[in-house]
Amino acid sequence: MEENSGLSSMKFFSDQYHSYADILRPHEARARIEVSVLNLLRILNSPDPEIFDLSLINRKRSNSCINKGILTDVSYIFLSTSFTKSSLTNAKTAKAFVRVWKVMEICFQILLQEKRVTQRELFYKLLCDSPEYFSSQIEVNRTVQDVVALLRCSRYSLGIMASSRGLVAGRLFLQEPGKEAVDCSVCGSSGFTISGDLNLLDNTIMRSDARYIIIVEKHAIFHRLVEDRVFNHIPCVFITAKGYPDIATRFFLHRMSTTFPDLPILALVDWNPAGLAILCTFKFGSIGMGLEAYRYACNVKWIGIRGDDLDLIPEESLVPQKPKDLQIAKSLMSSKILQENYRYELSLMIQTGKRAEIEALYCHGYDYLGKYIATKIVQGKYI
Amino acid sequence: MEGKFPSPETTHLLQRIKEFSRSIVEDLAEGKSPEISINRFRNYCMNPEADCFCSSDKPKGQEILTFKREPQTYRIDMLLRVLLIVQQLLQENRHASKRDIYYMHPSAFKAQSVVDRAIGDICILFQCSRFNLNVVSVGNGLVMGWLKFREAGRKFDCLNSLNTAFPVPVLVEEVEDIVSLAEYILVVEKETVFQRLANDMFCKMNRCIVITGRGYPDVSTRRFLRLLIEKLHLPVHCLVDCDPYGFEILATYRFGSMQMAYDVESLRAPDMKWLGAFPSDSEIYSVPQQCLLPLTEEDKKRTEAILLRCYLKREMPQWRLELETMLNRGVKFEIEALSVHSLSFLSEVYIPSKIRREVSSP
Repeated sequence: MEENSGLSSMKFFSDQYHSYADILRPHEARARIEVSVLNLLRILNSPDPEIFDLSLINRKRSNSCINKGILTDVSYIFLSTSFTKSSLTNAKTAKAFVRVWKVMEICFQILLQEKRVTQRELFYKLLCDSPEYFSSQIEVNRTVQDVVALLRCSRYSLGIMASSRGLVAGRLFLQEPGKEAVDCSVCGSSGFTISGDLNLLDNTIMRSDARYIIIVEKHAIFHRLVEDRVFNHIPCVFITAKGYPDIATRFFLHRMSTTFPDLPILALVDWNPAGLAILCTFKFGSIGMGLEAYRYACNVKWIGIRGDDLDLIPEESLVPQKPKDLQIAKSLMSSKILQENYRYELSLMIQTGKRAEIEALYCHGYDYLGKYIATKIVQGKYI
Repeated sequence: MEGKFPSPETTHLLQRIKEFSRSIVEDLAEGKSPEISINRFRNYCMNPEADCFCSSDKPKGQEILTFKREPQTYRIDMLLRVLLIVQQLLQENRHASKRDIYYMHPSAFKAQSVVDRAIGDICILFQCSRFNLNVVSVGNGLVMGWLKFREAGRKFDCLNSLNTAFPVPVLVEEVEDIVSLAEYILVVEKETVFQRLANDMFCKMNRCIVITGRGYPDVSTRRFLRLLIEKLHLPVHCLVDCDPYGFEILATYRFGSMQMAYDVESLRAPDMKWLGAFPSDSEIYSVPQQCLLPLTEEDKKRTEAILLRCYLKREMPQWRLELETMLNRGVKFEIEALSVHSLSFLSEVYIPSKIRREVSSP
């Protein structure tokens, strides 16, 4: 059949094995929900009725693949086309099957009202409407991810609110539709908040004369660099997600990288597995957010703190790792995506069993951080 | 910021630091041990009769540090080391967090707690607040609504985007030109409730300022709220979950925290009203049974401990009553439970009607 050959020819493009989540407008998301419901009804009403299994993109590590950019330097994780089946006839997955439809129902209503819900509000609504099926927040969150996997659209498109944790400051002008341009170098001591509204971010105009984009892991360090106006000494833009990056911050970073493709993106994180994990999430995406991840991966380089900086750090600031760090280290080590030089750095962390925070550099003086970054940039010491 | 001239307060403080150091040197030159008197503060006690003086901001006792005892000598040593760093910060007009200070000499300050205590001692000694020493930490608060102000050269025009969250400025002392057309200030415990109000365009229908500390409020959020109260003289309402943690947050805003008891004047909101959620609200507003979660053992212990605090007996007996009701019923619920029947219930019915009727406990 024509369709099949068309499909098979497309297999030459690796894109076709990608599963990704679209960002949809409310009416588009509603349309997808309606289509799913209609499909279900159609099959039930057919001469040979059956209840099909829900095919959800498998969100396990076994289904994650790495795309190593050949023409670009960007590698990312994506979920391939392996599916798990959620079936009504299987006792174990029957409830999960129903839960997906319940969540879709509420999301549909929310989208109709042109509003948004938080996941907590969703939990309470489901708890009251269908107490037999929902008993915990975790179940709700997992079901939401199931709906994302089924409809292949982002969580935000379903009407679920996203919080904004990211901040940006530096040599950047941002103009939201219908508003005046904001100068991110004059933004007080806190920086400009990155909105959780992905549609808004998509339509924001950016202008910059910076030469680098620098990701900062922690809010306190970001604040320090902004207060000292380091972006005037090193022409750059600072961005932070205040820890583990949320979708909105990653989306914003991705937009910056496509708008200013010549700007290297450098990351300043603590010397511990958690810091490296944060860097990797910006760089490759994450499996947990599998469907939404790949689009926002960026070519991020690790500027510090790295193994060769350890001689700058006083003995007392090298403290033992926490048990969580070891877990993260194990998980990272076994990840297929970690490149060789990162693996080396990680094994150094595991060997010594120690960690160090960026603040440890303050023993050299308060303004040392700016000098440290500048030196590293000038010497090209980032991997 | 760099290049700015130090304010008169800073100059005065630097002068006092010099005098203090001189007096210590003079004592040492005469072979005497310096005697440093550090006052003790607390903002509540567990006295069942509540005939204490906790409500006044006066110190409740003092300790005198001398070289005669080893632990006190150590304490003086740390105090002086931190004071040296503070002096530098003030002279250079820079800011640092407590953590930054620890990292400047980790070999001397063996632990963060040492630095924390030294800073507390310095604040008490010089009768000033932490921010006077240029010791600030990044904050987590958000604000939106009928407000305009400037901080460190940046204009915060919340009025123009009524449903956008703005970060509460870290350097609250540099906030100027506060202009507001609001009728009241609403403080909410959680970021999710803040988001709900933004999504419902609450500030479009209601002329108010909404603030959240995103959980337990940090110093900059409390300081910012206090500043707004001082400048605008508006009533303040607080919306927290109906559980011991929510009440703890309410108490922190209203009475201050024990840790910062020495600085309670600049951090608390003395006339803050408890808007909700009360245990009685679950019946009045028909919260479904499934949303009423049982109090854990931890919750019960916590509530009992809070009930022992003297300020509840003395100042807010109505709050005490509600807390006892919660304990007796053995259930708690979150604000989101009120919106189960209608998402905009909170913005359209609950909050406006409570504020109108001022049913909130005074």
